[in-house]
Parts: sequence; C-alpha cells; structure tokens
Amino acid sequence: MAIISVSGDPGCAHEDLARAVAQRAGFELLTCRRLEESIAADFGSQEIPERAWPPLLRSAIARSAVNRHVVYSLEGGERLFHGFPNVLNVLLIAPPRRRIGAVMVDRQLDREAARRFLRESEIDAVAERKRRFGRGHSRLHEFDLILNDDQHTPETLAVIVEAAMASRGLLDQGMLSAAAEAQVQFQARLQLAKFGLTPPDRAAGERNGFSHPSEEIFARLLDFYRIEWQYEPRSFPLQWDKDGHVIEAFTPDFFLPAFDLYVELTTMKQALVTRKNRKIRLLRSIYPHVNIQVFYQKDIQDLIVKYELAERASTH
Amino acid sequence: MNSPSAPPPIERVLFTAEQIDTRIREVAARISSDFEGRELKLVAVLKGSVFFLTALARHITVPLRVDFLGISHFTNQPGAPGVVRIAKDLDDAIEDEHVLLVEDIVDTGFTTRYLLQNLAGRGPASLGICTLLDRTSRRIARIPINYSCFEIPDRFVVGFGLDHKQLYRNLDCIAVIRPD
Repeated sequence: MAIISVSGDPGCAHEDLARAVAQRAGFELLTCRRLEESIAADFGSQEIPERAWPPLLRSAIARSAVNRHVVYSLEGGERLFHGFPNVLNVLLIAPPRRRIGAVMVDRQLDREAARRFLRESEIDAVAERKRRFGRGHSRLHEFDLILNDDQHTPETLAVIVEAAMASRGLLDQGMLSAAAEAQVQFQARLQLAKFGLTPPDRAAGERNGFSHPSEEIFARLLDFYRIEWQYEPRSFPLQWDKDGHVIEAFTPDFFLPAFDLYVELTTMKQALVTRKNRKIRLLRSIYPHVNIQVFYQKDIQDLIVKYELAERASTH
Repeated sequence: MNSPSAPPPIERVLFTAEQIDTRIREVAARISSDFEGRELKLVAVLKGSVFFLTALARHITVPLRVDFLGISHFTNQPGAPGVVRIAKDLDDAIEDEHVLLVEDIVDTGFTTRYLLQNLAGRGPASLGICTLLDRTSRRIARIPINYSCFEIPDRFVVGFGLDHKQLYRNLDCIAVIRPD
C-alpha cells in the first residue's frame, strides 16, 4: 500500500493538493471531513474522546488502504502512520499573504477580517492538534517533503509529490495485505478499548458506482474544479406509515461540503419530472435547512454543449 | 454544425446592442464612482470577456490598467488536463492593486471561484467581480458579485463575446440559440 499524508496550516490549499495527488495517481482521497463523517457514522451519537481520534483515524484509513492506495488530508496526519513503511508525509506551506487571500475568498471577508480569522483558525488548529495528538505543532523532521504553495498550482505540486512517490518506490508495493490490516486494526482496538470504543469491521470510504453517465460527467467536472463531493451520502425520509416506518425517501445525487449544498441531476424530460419535483418540494418543506440545487435535462445539455463533451449523456 | 455562411440559429434576441450599451454605461458609472480617486485594474478572462472588457473600459472614468488570464477548460476527452489550471497568466503582479475580475457570464460559479481563489492569493488591495451576464438559477459556488449588467434565464446564449463552438462571439446583441 501507499499512504500519502498532506498537511498544511490554515489557509493553505493542502486539501486541493491532496485532491490533485489523488486524481493524478488514482488514489482514494480521504478528506478530514470525510473521515470525521465516516467515524461519526460508525459511532453515532457516542461521545468520542479527543485522544481516541488517532487510533480511530488510523483504523478508518487502514480499512480503505486494503483496496486502494490512499491520500488523506488531515491536520496532524503525519503522526498517524509514523514509522510505517510506504508512507509519504507532505507538508504544504504558504506565505501569510496567500493564506489570507484564500480566507478572503472562502469566507467572503475583507483583508483585515480575513487576517483575524486566520489567526483565530491557527490558534484553534494548535489547540485541536494538542488535544488529539498531544502536541500543538508539527515537527518538520517528521515530513518527507515540504512544499511552498506560493508560486505553484496544486497540479504542479502534485507532479512533485508523484515524483517523490516514484523515487521511494511506493507504488511498487501492493495494497495493505489482509494480515497487515488486521495487525493495524488489532493495535487500534487495543488503544480504543481504553476509551470503551470498538471499531466496526466493514470497509469504509469506498466510492460508489454512478447510476447514470451524466452523474459521472458531473463528478469529473467537480474534480476538474477541485470541488469536494460525496455521491449519494444521505437519504431523507419524506413519508412515514402509521407505525413510523419510512415509506418514501429521497436521495440527492451529490453533496458538496464546501457549499453545504445537495445537487440532484435529472435527465428526464421536463414533462416527466413532476414526481421528482414533488419530492423535492416535500424535502424542502420538511427539511428547510437543507440546501438543494436541481439540474434539469436542459441544464445538463447546456453543460455538455458548453464544454463540448464528446460523450453525450443519454436520457432515462 | 452550421456552415460558416449559414445565419446563426437565433431563437430570439435577449438584449439588443442598444440595451447592452445603455446598461454597460450605467455599470461603468457605478464603478467609476466606487473607485473615485483610485486606480483600477481590470482582469478579463480569455476569450469571451474581452468584448465586455473593451466596452466597459471605454466608459470608466478612473485611471485603469487591463490584463488578461486564460484557463484550461474542462473536457471529457481522455488525456485532457485533470484539474483546472492557468493556461495564460497575468503579465503583471496585482499586489496592493484594486482588481476587478471581468467575466462574460457567471453560471455555476466554478470558474469564477477558482479565479478568485487564485487572484486573492496574490495580495490585491481589493478584489471584486463584474459580469456582463449572471445566471443565478444554476449557481452552485456562492460568490459575491459586485457588478452585474443582466440577469439571464436558464437558456443557452451567444453574442457579445459568448460563443457556441467558438462561433457568434461577434454578434452585437445577446441572443438565445437552439444548439444543434
């Protein structure tokens, strides 16, 4: 297996770099949010002590590494597989000017407010890192590669990471063997037992197949613009019978965490979307806090025309 | 595809040349007022925004400079660039300058968001967006638009810089077409 860890200070584009590496190398991308959601799904409302996070994260990442090489983006992530072979720890740095600029755009703040926000984010990051990993700051000697974001795009930096992977021969190794994964999980269980937590056995973080070509095109479009997405991550119950069983639900195609937005693609003809529109109206009335954007057939066709896509999405 | 000599398949004209000119003058006056006493840099995204930039710049009264950016475009073809990148960078730095990103159309907001992120990292004194057309119905990326000439419906439009297969940019109006 190859495991690439990408860290960076607040305001650095380390998630973008992780995404670019994943795309370039064909690795599974595990973002901080995705890992936290996976752990939350496993443990429900159970309170997770901060010091239990390292073994939990190690357990979740190792489960994914059985099937695919993995790149993850996580504050303090360089500590997770310390001493393991076939691990490359990458740190992304950037000058304050660039990080403030990123916050200005992401948070829609003016420069002074962005500067304050960044400072507070740095303090929060140090505190969280200390709570989870017992140390507030990273140690530079624990990284294999330190990259400066200032004059490079994530794509060009990903080329450097890929070269580092090749020089270390990371891809020459197979996936994490079942025996090695079992060993990682055994160690994680031992550590988690102290907190009364038991990790599940099922594989996590696997990418689902798409049910329609237009969804795959849309996912590629999001990847192109480095926008994190999740495919059908949640179903919303819409109707229940008298015993409280769900008899109707709606599962939007995509969730975009950066915009807190669900996206539903429909390639049916406009005249046939009445039933789906009713579901979406129902969803909006029951879950008014949920943001959902619907792309209809003509929207998708426009995207296809706009980007001159060779493979036209067929209708269903 | 239409032959070069065939007339554009216009379904209807959305905004005439006169309407566009009037609205651009109004927006240029607002920009001139907002940036009074300061210098401005207009950054246009190749190729579609060039038509709008030249029309807008002529009616802005504060001192201004112009520069251009080109970006790679999404394609579903194998071997195409996997992520968006700058294909033609600005000629000059924008640090401590008041920058207005000039767009022909903001649709999903993906491209504009990427450009904003890229430009914001270069330390401008301020950074805003001015777009000729704003199609809010398909917006996914929430981005602040400071100046917008027209909000348009959910239709495919060409003219005044906007193309279909690189054609019709030179129409002096903005029109809805029926793509083949």
